[in-house]
Amino acid sequence: MINWFKKRRSKDTSYDTNEAWIRALSEPVDEKAVEILREKLIRGLKPALHKYVDRELDQFVEDVAQDALLKVLDNIDSFRGDSKLLTWAMKIAVREGLTELRLKRYDDISINDLKYDDDSEVFSMRVATDQPQPDRLAHESQLIEKMMTIIEDELTDKQQTAIRLLMIKDLSVTVVAKQMDTNRNALYKLVHDARLKLKNRFKLEGIDPDEMLNTL
Amino acid sequence: MKLTTDILKKMVRSVQMTTQQEIGCGECFEQLEQFAGMKLKGKAPEEAMPLVQDHLKKCNDCREEYEALLDAMEELGNPA
Repeated sequence: MINWFKKRRSKDTSYDTNEAWIRALSEPVDEKAVEILREKLIRGLKPALHKYVDRELDQFVEDVAQDALLKVLDNIDSFRGDSKLLTWAMKIAVREGLTELRLKRYDDISINDLKYDDDSEVFSMRVATDQPQPDRLAHESQLIEKMMTIIEDELTDKQQTAIRLLMIKDLSVTVVAKQMDTNRNALYKLVHDARLKLKNRFKLEGIDPDEMLNTL
Repeated sequence: MKLTTDILKKMVRSVQMTTQQEIGCGECFEQLEQFAGMKLKGKAPEEAMPLVQDHLKKCNDCREEYEALLDAMEELGNPA
Protein backbone atom coordinates (compact mmCIF):
# COMPACT_ATOMS: atom_id res chain seq x y z
CA MET A 1 0.00 0.00 0.00
CA ILE A 2 2.76 2.41 0.96
CA ASN A 3 4.51 1.64 -2.31
CA TRP A 4 1.31 2.37 -4.18
CA PHE A 5 1.07 5.80 -2.53
CA LYS A 6 4.70 6.47 -3.27
CA LYS A 7 4.18 5.52 -6.88
CA ARG A 8 1.10 7.72 -7.14
CA ARG A 9 2.95 10.60 -5.60
CA SER A 10 5.94 10.35 -7.83
CA LYS A 11 3.65 9.98 -10.85
CA ASP A 12 1.67 13.09 -9.96
CA THR A 13 4.67 15.27 -9.32
CA SER A 14 6.70 14.24 -12.30
CA TYR A 15 5.05 16.74 -14.65
CA ASP A 16 5.44 19.90 -12.64
CA THR A 17 7.12 21.94 -15.30
CA ASN A 18 6.06 22.84 -18.81
CA GLU A 19 9.22 21.20 -20.13
CA ALA A 20 8.29 17.92 -18.48
CA TRP A 21 4.76 18.07 -19.86
CA ILE A 22 5.92 18.92 -23.36
CA ARG A 23 8.41 16.08 -23.30
CA ALA A 24 5.78 13.67 -22.05
CA LEU A 25 3.10 14.73 -24.51
CA SER A 26 5.36 14.81 -27.56
CA GLU A 27 6.14 11.70 -29.59
CA PRO A 28 6.68 9.11 -28.26
CA VAL A 29 3.81 10.05 -25.96
CA ASP A 30 4.03 9.06 -22.30
CA GLU A 31 0.69 7.36 -21.63
CA LYS A 32 0.92 8.09 -17.90
CA ALA A 33 1.12 11.81 -18.62
CA VAL A 34 -1.88 11.58 -20.94
CA GLU A 35 -3.86 9.83 -18.23
CA ILE A 36 -2.94 12.41 -15.60
CA LEU A 37 -3.83 15.24 -17.93
CA ARG A 38 -7.13 13.55 -18.77
CA GLU A 39 -7.99 13.27 -15.08
CA LYS A 40 -7.15 16.90 -14.48
CA LEU A 41 -9.22 18.05 -17.44
CA ILE A 42 -12.19 16.07 -16.20
CA ARG A 43 -11.81 17.46 -12.70
CA GLY A 44 -11.64 21.04 -13.97
CA LEU A 45 -14.37 20.71 -16.57
CA LYS A 46 -17.02 19.59 -14.09
CA PRO A 47 -17.32 22.87 -12.17
CA ALA A 48 -16.66 24.83 -15.35
CA LEU A 49 -19.51 23.29 -17.32
CA HIS A 50 -22.00 22.05 -14.75
CA LYS A 51 -24.30 25.05 -15.08
CA TYR A 52 -24.64 24.46 -18.82
CA VAL A 53 -25.31 20.73 -18.70
CA ASP A 54 -28.64 19.53 -17.38
CA ARG A 55 -27.95 15.79 -17.40
CA GLU A 56 -25.19 13.22 -17.71
CA LEU A 57 -22.51 15.73 -16.83
CA ASP A 58 -19.93 13.02 -16.07
CA GLN A 59 -20.27 11.36 -19.46
CA PHE A 60 -20.30 14.67 -21.29
CA VAL A 61 -17.20 15.90 -19.49
CA GLU A 62 -15.35 12.65 -20.18
CA ASP A 63 -16.13 12.90 -23.89
CA VAL A 64 -15.04 16.54 -23.98
CA ALA A 65 -11.82 15.73 -22.15
CA GLN A 66 -11.07 12.97 -24.63
CA ASP A 67 -11.64 15.24 -27.64
CA ALA A 68 -9.62 18.01 -26.02
CA LEU A 69 -6.75 15.62 -25.30
CA LEU A 70 -6.50 14.74 -28.97
CA LYS A 71 -6.33 18.44 -29.82
CA VAL A 72 -3.70 19.04 -27.16
CA LEU A 73 -1.56 16.21 -28.50
CA ASP A 74 -2.01 17.40 -32.09
CA ASN A 75 -1.08 20.95 -31.19
CA ILE A 76 1.56 20.47 -28.53
CA ASP A 77 4.14 22.07 -30.84
CA SER A 78 2.15 25.30 -30.88
CA PHE A 79 2.21 25.72 -27.08
CA ARG A 80 4.21 28.90 -26.53
CA GLY A 81 4.74 28.60 -22.81
CA ASP A 82 2.94 31.83 -21.89
CA SER A 83 1.26 29.99 -19.02
CA LYS A 84 1.31 26.61 -17.35
CA LEU A 85 0.64 23.89 -19.89
CA LEU A 86 -2.34 22.77 -17.87
CA THR A 87 -4.00 26.19 -18.23
CA TRP A 88 -3.45 26.05 -21.99
CA ALA A 89 -4.86 22.51 -22.20
CA MET A 90 -7.82 23.47 -20.03
CA LYS A 91 -8.53 26.44 -22.30
CA ILE A 92 -8.78 24.04 -25.24
CA ALA A 93 -11.04 21.69 -23.26
CA VAL A 94 -13.34 24.48 -22.07
CA ARG A 95 -13.79 25.79 -25.60
CA GLU A 96 -14.41 22.26 -26.87
CA GLY A 97 -17.14 21.72 -24.29
CA LEU A 98 -18.86 25.06 -24.63
CA THR A 99 -18.75 24.92 -28.42
CA GLU A 100 -20.42 21.54 -28.41
CA LEU A 101 -23.10 22.73 -26.00
CA ARG A 102 -23.82 25.86 -28.02
CA LEU A 103 -24.11 23.95 -31.27
CA LYS A 104 -26.24 21.25 -29.71
CA ARG A 105 -28.64 23.88 -28.43
CA TYR A 106 -29.14 25.23 -31.93
CA ASP A 107 -29.00 21.95 -33.82
CA ASP A 108 -32.40 22.40 -35.33
CA ILE A 109 -31.89 25.88 -36.67
CA SER A 110 -30.83 26.19 -40.28
CA ILE A 111 -29.41 29.29 -41.88
CA ASN A 112 -32.38 29.38 -44.23
CA ASP A 113 -34.81 29.53 -41.36
CA LEU A 114 -32.80 32.30 -39.81
CA LYS A 115 -32.30 34.18 -43.01
CA TYR A 116 -35.72 34.18 -44.52
CA ASP A 117 -38.25 33.68 -41.78
CA ASP A 118 -39.09 37.25 -40.98
CA ASP A 119 -36.64 39.57 -42.65
CA SER A 120 -39.38 41.75 -43.98
CA GLU A 121 -40.66 42.40 -40.48
CA VAL A 122 -37.23 42.98 -39.01
CA PHE A 123 -36.51 45.60 -41.59
CA SER A 124 -39.94 47.10 -41.61
CA MET A 125 -38.79 48.67 -38.35
CA ARG A 126 -41.71 47.78 -36.23
CA VAL A 127 -41.53 48.84 -32.65
CA ALA A 128 -42.60 46.53 -29.87
CA THR A 129 -42.96 48.31 -26.60
CA ASP A 130 -45.22 48.10 -23.61
CA GLN A 131 -47.71 50.61 -24.87
CA PRO A 132 -45.63 53.71 -24.45
CA GLN A 133 -46.98 57.21 -24.83
CA PRO A 134 -47.76 58.07 -28.47
CA ASP A 135 -45.06 60.76 -28.68
CA ARG A 136 -42.50 58.41 -27.19
CA LEU A 137 -43.54 55.70 -29.62
CA ALA A 138 -43.19 58.09 -32.50
CA HIS A 139 -39.75 59.13 -31.31
CA GLU A 140 -38.59 55.52 -30.96
CA SER A 141 -39.99 54.64 -34.37
CA GLN A 142 -38.05 57.50 -35.87
CA LEU A 143 -34.82 56.37 -34.27
CA ILE A 144 -35.36 52.78 -35.34
CA GLU A 145 -36.13 53.90 -38.86
CA LYS A 146 -32.99 55.99 -38.91
CA MET A 147 -30.90 53.10 -37.64
CA MET A 148 -32.31 50.72 -40.21
CA THR A 149 -31.72 53.17 -43.05
CA ILE A 150 -28.11 53.50 -41.96
CA ILE A 151 -27.72 49.73 -41.72
CA GLU A 152 -29.17 49.19 -45.17
CA ASP A 153 -27.06 51.98 -46.70
CA GLU A 154 -23.77 51.06 -45.11
CA LEU A 155 -23.61 47.33 -44.57
CA THR A 156 -23.17 44.47 -47.01
CA ASP A 157 -25.80 41.73 -47.09
CA LYS A 158 -23.46 39.47 -45.19
CA GLN A 159 -22.92 42.07 -42.50
CA GLN A 160 -26.65 42.67 -42.22
CA THR A 161 -27.25 38.95 -41.82
CA ALA A 162 -24.59 38.71 -39.12
CA ILE A 163 -25.96 41.71 -37.23
CA ARG A 164 -29.47 40.33 -37.45
CA LEU A 165 -28.51 36.89 -36.16
CA LEU A 166 -26.27 38.17 -33.38
CA MET A 167 -28.19 41.18 -32.14
CA ILE A 168 -31.79 40.57 -33.06
CA LYS A 169 -31.93 36.79 -32.87
CA ASP A 170 -29.44 36.92 -30.02
CA LEU A 171 -27.57 33.82 -31.18
CA SER A 172 -24.04 33.07 -30.04
CA VAL A 173 -21.03 33.85 -32.21
CA THR A 174 -20.23 30.14 -32.33
CA VAL A 175 -23.66 29.26 -33.73
CA VAL A 176 -23.78 32.14 -36.21
CA ALA A 177 -20.27 31.34 -37.48
CA LYS A 178 -21.35 27.77 -38.11
CA GLN A 179 -24.61 28.84 -39.75
CA MET A 180 -22.80 31.31 -42.00
CA ASP A 181 -20.16 28.75 -42.86
CA THR A 182 -17.30 30.79 -41.45
CA ASN A 183 -15.31 30.86 -38.21
CA ARG A 184 -15.65 32.97 -35.09
CA ASN A 185 -12.63 35.11 -35.85
CA ALA A 186 -13.77 35.97 -39.36
CA LEU A 187 -17.29 36.65 -38.12
CA TYR A 188 -16.03 38.96 -35.39
CA LYS A 189 -13.94 40.87 -37.93
CA LEU A 190 -16.95 41.12 -40.27
CA VAL A 191 -19.09 42.58 -37.49
CA HIS A 192 -16.30 44.84 -36.26
CA ASP A 193 -16.02 46.28 -39.74
CA ALA A 194 -19.81 46.75 -39.76
CA ARG A 195 -19.73 48.54 -36.39
CA LEU A 196 -16.95 50.83 -37.62
CA LYS A 197 -19.01 51.74 -40.69
CA LEU A 198 -22.01 52.53 -38.49
CA LYS A 199 -19.87 54.57 -36.13
CA ASN A 200 -18.45 56.63 -39.01
CA ARG A 201 -21.91 57.21 -40.42
CA PHE A 202 -23.14 58.30 -36.98
CA LYS A 203 -20.32 60.81 -36.89
CA LEU A 204 -21.10 62.10 -40.38
CA GLU A 205 -24.74 62.54 -39.47
CA GLY A 206 -23.92 64.17 -36.15
CA ILE A 207 -25.59 61.40 -34.17
CA ASP A 208 -24.32 61.14 -30.61
CA PRO A 209 -24.84 57.57 -29.30
CA ASP A 210 -24.94 58.80 -25.67
CA GLU A 211 -27.64 61.27 -26.50
CA MET A 212 -29.58 58.67 -28.45
CA LEU A 213 -29.42 56.22 -25.56
CA ASN A 214 -30.60 58.88 -23.14
CA THR A 215 -33.72 59.47 -25.17
CA LEU A 216 -34.65 55.78 -25.40
CA MET B 1 -40.22 39.48 -35.13
CA LYS B 2 -40.49 43.01 -33.93
CA LEU B 3 -37.60 45.34 -33.39
CA THR B 4 -37.72 46.47 -29.81
CA THR B 5 -36.26 49.47 -28.12
CA ASP B 6 -33.98 47.10 -26.25
CA ILE B 7 -32.51 45.79 -29.49
CA LEU B 8 -32.00 49.34 -30.74
CA LYS B 9 -30.24 50.18 -27.48
CA LYS B 10 -28.05 47.11 -27.85
CA MET B 11 -27.11 48.16 -31.38
CA VAL B 12 -26.33 51.73 -30.41
CA ARG B 13 -24.25 50.58 -27.43
CA SER B 14 -22.25 48.22 -29.61
CA VAL B 15 -21.54 51.06 -32.04
CA GLN B 16 -20.64 53.34 -29.17
CA MET B 17 -18.14 50.82 -27.78
CA THR B 18 -16.48 50.18 -31.14
CA THR B 19 -12.84 51.13 -31.42
CA GLN B 20 -10.54 51.09 -34.40
CA GLN B 21 -8.23 48.53 -32.89
CA GLU B 22 -10.00 45.39 -31.73
CA ILE B 23 -8.77 41.84 -31.72
CA GLY B 24 -10.85 38.91 -32.97
CA CYS B 25 -11.81 35.70 -31.20
CA GLY B 26 -8.74 33.95 -32.59
CA GLU B 27 -6.25 36.41 -31.14
CA CYS B 28 -8.15 36.47 -27.89
CA PHE B 29 -8.07 32.68 -27.68
CA GLU B 30 -4.33 32.65 -28.32
CA GLN B 31 -3.73 34.88 -25.32
CA LEU B 32 -6.48 33.64 -23.05
CA GLU B 33 -4.38 31.28 -20.92
CA GLN B 34 -1.89 34.07 -20.26
CA PHE B 35 -4.69 36.45 -19.34
CA ALA B 36 -6.32 33.86 -17.06
CA GLY B 37 -2.96 32.94 -15.55
CA MET B 38 -2.33 36.54 -14.55
CA LYS B 39 -5.81 36.87 -13.11
CA LEU B 40 -5.38 33.72 -11.03
CA LYS B 41 -2.06 35.02 -9.71
CA GLY B 42 -3.79 38.19 -8.56
CA LYS B 43 -2.10 40.37 -11.18
CA ALA B 44 -4.02 42.81 -13.36
CA PRO B 45 -4.32 41.38 -16.87
CA GLU B 46 -6.85 44.11 -17.73
CA GLU B 47 -4.00 46.62 -17.63
CA ALA B 48 -1.33 44.43 -19.14
CA MET B 49 -3.51 43.07 -21.94
CA PRO B 50 -6.15 45.73 -22.68
CA LEU B 51 -7.09 44.36 -26.10
CA VAL B 52 -7.96 40.98 -24.63
CA GLN B 53 -9.94 42.70 -21.88
CA ASP B 54 -11.77 44.77 -24.50
CA HIS B 55 -12.60 41.68 -26.53
CA LEU B 56 -13.89 39.83 -23.48
CA LYS B 57 -16.20 42.75 -22.79
CA LYS B 58 -17.61 42.63 -26.30
CA CYS B 59 -17.74 38.90 -27.07
CA ASN B 60 -20.10 36.76 -24.99
CA ASP B 61 -18.70 33.43 -26.17
CA CYS B 62 -15.11 34.33 -25.35
CA ARG B 63 -16.14 35.77 -21.99
CA GLU B 64 -18.06 32.61 -21.17
CA GLU B 65 -14.99 30.53 -22.02
CA TYR B 66 -12.74 32.75 -19.94
CA GLU B 67 -15.02 32.47 -16.91
CA ALA B 68 -15.29 28.71 -17.31
CA LEU B 69 -11.50 28.49 -17.56
CA LEU B 70 -11.14 30.39 -14.29
CA ASP B 71 -13.65 28.04 -12.62
CA ALA B 72 -11.75 25.02 -13.89
CA MET B 73 -8.36 26.28 -12.77
CA GLU B 74 -9.68 27.23 -9.36
CA GLU B 75 -10.94 23.69 -8.95
CA LEU B 76 -7.42 22.44 -9.68
CA GLY B 77 -5.98 24.61 -6.94
CA ASN B 78 -5.21 27.57 -9.13
CA PRO B 79 -1.98 26.24 -10.65
CA ALA B 80 -1.75 28.99 -13.26
